[in-house]
Amino acid sequence: MQTRNIEIIVGAFMLAGILSVAWLGIQVSGLTMQESTGSYKLTAYFNNIGGLTERGKVTIAGVLVGRVASIDLDPISVRARVELHIDNSVDYITEDSIASIKTAGVLGEKYVSIAIGGAEDVLGNGDVIHDTQSAFVLEDLIGTVLSTLFNEKAEE
Amino acid sequence: MADNLIEIRDVSVARGNRVLFSDVNLDIPRGSVTAIMGPSGCGKTTLLRLIGGQLRASSGTVLVEGQDVGRISRQDMFALRRRMGMLFQSGALFTDLSVYENVAFPLRVHTSLPESMIRDLVLMKLDAVGLRGARELMPSELSGGMSRRAALARAIILDPELIIYDEPFAGQDPISMGMLASLIARLNKALGLTTIIVSHDVDETAAIADYIHVIADGAIRGQGPTEQVINSEDPRVQQFVRGLPDGPVPFHYPAEPLLADLGLESHA
Amino acid sequence: MIDYLQRLGASGLATLQTLGRATVLWWQAMTCAPDWRNGPGLLARQLYFVGVYSLLIIVVSGLFIGMVLSLQGYTVLVRFGAAEALGQLVSLSLLRELGPVVAALLFAGRAGSAMTAEIGLMKATEQLAAMEMIGVDPLRRVIRPRLLAGMLAMPVLAQIFNVVAIWGAVMVGVHWLGVDAGSFWSNMQNVVDFDEDVINGVIKSFVFGAVITWIAVHQGYDVVPTSEGIAAATTRTVVYSSLAVLALDFLLTAVMFGVD
Repeated sequence: MQTRNIEIIVGAFMLAGILSVAWLGIQVSGLTMQESTGSYKLTAYFNNIGGLTERGKVTIAGVLVGRVASIDLDPISVRARVELHIDNSVDYITEDSIASIKTAGVLGEKYVSIAIGGAEDVLGNGDVIHDTQSAFVLEDLIGTVLSTLFNEKAEE
Repeated sequence: MADNLIEIRDVSVARGNRVLFSDVNLDIPRGSVTAIMGPSGCGKTTLLRLIGGQLRASSGTVLVEGQDVGRISRQDMFALRRRMGMLFQSGALFTDLSVYENVAFPLRVHTSLPESMIRDLVLMKLDAVGLRGARELMPSELSGGMSRRAALARAIILDPELIIYDEPFAGQDPISMGMLASLIARLNKALGLTTIIVSHDVDETAAIADYIHVIADGAIRGQGPTEQVINSEDPRVQQFVRGLPDGPVPFHYPAEPLLADLGLESHA
Repeated sequence: MIDYLQRLGASGLATLQTLGRATVLWWQAMTCAPDWRNGPGLLARQLYFVGVYSLLIIVVSGLFIGMVLSLQGYTVLVRFGAAEALGQLVSLSLLRELGPVVAALLFAGRAGSAMTAEIGLMKATEQLAAMEMIGVDPLRRVIRPRLLAGMLAMPVLAQIFNVVAIWGAVMVGVHWLGVDAGSFWSNMQNVVDFDEDVINGVIKSFVFGAVITWIAVHQGYDVVPTSEGIAAATTRTVVYSSLAVLALDFLLTAVMFGVD
């Protein structure tokens, strides 16, 4: 078995491995070159995040503009503090924009949707989105419906 | 040539709880052909391992060229190994290398000679054992005798001062045995080597050995010039040398008396 | 009763001793002086025997597993109207679990057992002793290249398995069963994260490769030098490495993908 042949074949083997990883990265996990434009931080406070997880999507008009970086409880206001990383190219989120937690798809994945407002000033790195809408919680809705029905019944 | 290449003093080796041998004293004079013989399992191979530095004795010293192989540094051991060659019972050729590469192996390890020189040396040694034409074959393609000859070429490629043969005659037909015995004797004389043969084969070995050491039951039972040992009075040596079926090494595996086993004894 | 406990204790100690010997062997082999002259050539040779030779079984198994996964996944998902999620199902299953684990089990059976048999035979025919007598450290020349080859080859094989399996899944899901190609790929890309899924899979297979070759090499090195001994050692390699792979897989999965 010629040494040179072996080395060439082994080199090809390792190359096949590297190419596999590259293919898996690009085609299967959707790794794209654009991800390296960097991002800036925005914070939003919610009464109830209802199952939103880290790495969840942040969208404007349904288009992906960033990711949920971290979620923790703010001990002072006793609300959920959600840190969002927004792509640098999206620099037109105004001060009066509203961040809502919505449900996507059949499996009920939660994501953050930002609706742009009409104010002059634009939010920058480290700013806070003040208007937020918490996640839809089924139990609360049922509770509201039941109590509404109950009240209507009581009025009759 | 009165000095000793190897001196073994008060060496004991134990494996786990079993004592293989104790207080062994042995000299290998320079330039001689010395045989180490004994029944199976007596520790002959262990003794070789001690000399080769692969094993360390539980007590005592093994001096090779005045150096205690149990205690010297790795570099010194490496340098010492360059001067020893060993022929294993099964040849022990490296199965992934050709005959040529096998014989060249020690050269590549111990020297940085150019390829052309390595080629010359390898071909000469292969020619000496009659295998120059077989140099591109792989070990799996060789017969038993050819493997052994190739291994011999590998053992002498560095022109060692000491050469050790581990059971060289095992499983050979009488003609090959005779050829091999004379080859060993001639090599010893022509290259000025010191030779150690470990063997079961009394007749062939006695024909070429200057000295014999017989190991049995964990100690040396007879040692000295060949003549002297062959005519020794120790029953263990006698049994071994004569090939007697019964004696200190018994024929019967320990058991009850036959009559008792057959259930007949109660009638006695 | 006492006798039983005594034997149990003795076998426990024997197991610990074996584990100790195996660890010392690995450590000494990995930390002996680097062999710049012969090392790369020996490594390349081992990569060839361990990696390239395993390619056929990896590719064939990958293809069939991908196809079966796709078929089974489709029959279940289509009932919930969620056939578009097939891509996610297949890719996550493969990248995170099936790729590394199945490739490792196949590797243990093919390359692991061959390694044990080869080293066992070298020991039985005194090649290792001969090497030592000539002054070459068998750990450096025989053992270490094999350990390194396993660590390098295993991730490569697992990724090739993944690629082939996903293609098999695409053939069955998209071209045969009619799942929409667009949603298949886009859903997959949305869900699969390079760091979390692809890289973790690579790390898993690296660990599996290291463990399998460790077991294989140790079993060969410590073999009883008879033909029964070699056969027994080869069997042990396959059994122990397979169990080790499955156990480690659980551990690694818990660490990497566990719920925080």
